[in-house]
Amino acid sequence: MLEVRNLKASYGQVQVLHDISLTVPKGKVVTLIGSNGAGKTTTMRAISGMIKPASGQVVLSGKNIAGLPSHRIAKLGLAHSPEGRKVFPTQSIMDNLLLGAFTRLSMGGGRPKGDVSSDLDRALDLFPRLRERQHQLAGTLSGGEQQMLAMARALMLNPEVLLLDEPSLGLAPILVDEVFHIINRLKEQGITMLLVEQFAAAALAVADYGYVMENGKIAVHGPAKDLQNDPKVVAAYLGGGH
Amino acid sequence: MEILLQLILSGVALGMIYAVVAFGYQSTFATSGTLNFGQGEALMLGAMFGLSLAGDVMGGPYLNYWLMIPAVLIFGAFQGMVVEAVGVRPAIKTKSEFGWIMSTIALGIIFRNVAENIWGKDDMPFPSPISSTPLHIFGASVLPMELMVDVGALLMMVLVELFNRKTIYGKAVVATASDRDAAGLMGINTRMVITFSYALSSMSAAFAGVLIAPITLTGASMGAVLGLKAFAVAIIGGLNSGMGIIVGGILLGIAETTTGFYLSTGYKDVPGLVLLLLVLAIKPSGLFGKTAIKKV
Repeated sequence: MLEVRNLKASYGQVQVLHDISLTVPKGKVVTLIGSNGAGKTTTMRAISGMIKPASGQVVLSGKNIAGLPSHRIAKLGLAHSPEGRKVFPTQSIMDNLLLGAFTRLSMGGGRPKGDVSSDLDRALDLFPRLRERQHQLAGTLSGGEQQMLAMARALMLNPEVLLLDEPSLGLAPILVDEVFHIINRLKEQGITMLLVEQFAAAALAVADYGYVMENGKIAVHGPAKDLQNDPKVVAAYLGGGH
Repeated sequence: MEILLQLILSGVALGMIYAVVAFGYQSTFATSGTLNFGQGEALMLGAMFGLSLAGDVMGGPYLNYWLMIPAVLIFGAFQGMVVEAVGVRPAIKTKSEFGWIMSTIALGIIFRNVAENIWGKDDMPFPSPISSTPLHIFGASVLPMELMVDVGALLMMVLVELFNRKTIYGKAVVATASDRDAAGLMGINTRMVITFSYALSSMSAAFAGVLIAPITLTGASMGAVLGLKAFAVAIIGGLNSGMGIIVGGILLGIAETTTGFYLSTGYKDVPGLVLLLLVLAIKPSGLFGKTAIKKV
């Protein structure tokens, strides 16, 4: 479904990604873990076209999308819930969700329209808190609610692949649990996901497969179950706390 | 008292023109962080093009005033797209922070020179589409065209606001204005939105041009001062506040007409510019300017 081959990216003169290769099979949840600054978010940004990779391939449903602008990648069915949520603060929750379906609602948007209103209903069922506040401006929501909105908005694309970048960042523990509960439900619905997370243990618990990044490289990868028991991974990322 | 009311009504009409042009400054600033400093020339070109269609300067009239307006709007939109493609996009692409300032000013000067060569340097009268017999409102005499300016300006702003709120394309423009990266992730072609906002910006200036032309004179140099004052209005009201430009425009318009009458027409530009200096010193984000809500 999504395959990244030898992806390299730089910020100015500094190369931050070195030959990243990873595969997200259809219907599976793959997680990318690693310490701060390892290059997880940069990898996500290079996949979705927010930054231009220096070289390498990103293959989505058989088509190389590396280097395309983000709006064209979205049209091909890749949704990205970015780090820091990036909801549209001056617009209502409903408007944010409709914008998530922009590729389906606009002329030449590129995605089959399908049934936007029933998808809207499903998204609001998944996040009941958003239903109550659908006419409120997104900027007035709490951090946790904004995270829910960012995820719901990405789902409105009806994506082939969903990228979730740090959905639990900065949330209260109870909300972190809720976010992972929702990721589990999305997995049950068969949604293909690439998940970047700081809570490595929780991420490996929900994922089928995991990649561990260090200094812009993939250090270890394997089935999530194996990584959970890998002494090196346990020592570096799963020791104590979560 | 009647005189004061008359001055206020004229000031409001003038202020609404400033507001429409200032609205154009806002629209490009919101989506791209850049401004078209040739807005005054966009206004002038709109008026000149309108005069050529609805007046007798080019062997016309070809259209009446009302049919001329849509043609001018299309012309204005096209002119804005040219400014964006030639003057702004290259600067954005090369991440030149100030390149667009010089290039939009340069394009403005080129447009003025072209207009002088096509239409000459002299000011020309613009035929009024409606009666030019003043109406009497509470003793003050008002030109019907001045009321039309108020109605036209408000109508345009209401229509754009409806577009932004009710259509998916309008929502996409607002989304691009608040977060270009996130808008791209939604599948919105943000470069196209920026081109659109330039089209809208020049279109509103051209519209302002044909609204004001029947009460002033039309000529190649009519835009320069109007464009500058509308910029002052955008700063006074706040570059991100729709309410701000209406209030700011009206304040400036009334300040000018009253100063012109009670002091001297020679000083009529002073109070507005003093107001601008005061706002910049006391509240640089503008009277109604707000800092965006950002939650982390």
